[in-house]
Amino acid sequence: MLRVPAIATLVIAAILLIHWLTAWAGAHHKLEAVDPLPEGRANYRITLDFPPERFHQLLLQDKGRLVGVRGNVVDMMDVEPGALRDIAGWYWVTSVARWSGS
Amino acid sequence: MSTAAIAIPTRAARRPWPWARAAKGAIGVLLLLVAWQVSVPLVGLNSYFYPAPSDVVAAFADLIRKGILPVYLADSLLRYLAGLTAGAVLGISLGVLIGLHRRVSLALSPLLRFMFAIVEVAWIPIFVVWFGYGLKTIILALVYVVFFPVLYNTLLGVRTAPQLLVNAVRSLGASRLQVLRLVILPAALPGIITGLRVGAGFAFRGLVFAEIIAAKTGIGYLIFEGTQTQQTARTIVGMIVMGLLWLGMDQFYLRPLERATVQRWGLLVEAEQRT
Repeated sequence: MLRVPAIATLVIAAILLIHWLTAWAGAHHKLEAVDPLPEGRANYRITLDFPPERFHQLLLQDKGRLVGVRGNVVDMMDVEPGALRDIAGWYWVTSVARWSGS
Repeated sequence: MSTAAIAIPTRAARRPWPWARAAKGAIGVLLLLVAWQVSVPLVGLNSYFYPAPSDVVAAFADLIRKGILPVYLADSLLRYLAGLTAGAVLGISLGVLIGLHRRVSLALSPLLRFMFAIVEVAWIPIFVVWFGYGLKTIILALVYVVFFPVLYNTLLGVRTAPQLLVNAVRSLGASRLQVLRLVILPAALPGIITGLRVGAGFAFRGLVFAEIIAAKTGIGYLIFEGTQTQQTARTIVGMIVMGLLWLGMDQFYLRPLERATVQRWGLLVEAEQRT
């Protein structure tokens, strides 16, 4: 009788799982460029597929100190390794790279 | 008790094929889209004032590509579910309490009727003053919206529970709790589910209002932000997503739940035919 809600829930769970797996695989691939990750905070250059909007800047500000935006590139300082993994997991982030901070 | 009002749904009436029903519905949507697209050059306004369906599709794809829509959708859904759950729990609890105790009913009814008349939009600025912008304010607004329909439908269900059955169970030595569990709550269940369905619909409206005023993410905020940044197509995307969310919620969760409850506890034939 409640087959429809059960199927709908399974479909939603499957979509979330696929999303999570894709994000995990994407993050793994993007983080190869900065492997091995430093233990402490570091500076990174984040490249997007498009110029960041306010939404992206606010999200990135939660993960570290956003110090500059030029075109599709965002410069960030004091980013924790865990926060960098989160950033790399977002599908709209094309690449992450170390940045000297100058 | 009238036997005409109660009937066990035993008939094996032929139901229309669900995909055929969906296809008929899709034709209406398609016609609207075609009329909309055709009207754009005739109206001759720019896309800020009157975006074409193709602009809306492009905005939808852009919002997905940029990761904005999934985050806004997830935020809105979490707020919605939290507000709906809290409002439903509160409404059902108080509905049962008021339904069972006359003194509580007398004490609370005027206040509840007074509060019911004040729409949630009027409360949101006060909530912002008390709790600031963000989650607390949005969830409180949703609780307020969901609470009243659930409360009044629960109350109706509790008060219309068959007294004959209550007396019968009592005469067999059932305690008050057993009467509640075995007779009153099952009898009130169709009313509770109906209240939940109405409250769930109202909650979407509350969500849009609350997110416009008190949030920086969410579908309601997207609707507001679209007009602020002169991206009207994004506003329309937000409106369409909100409508689709409600359709999905109603079709895949609330309707089957209501049907199952009515079949199990309510036995009203009309309810099945209506859906």
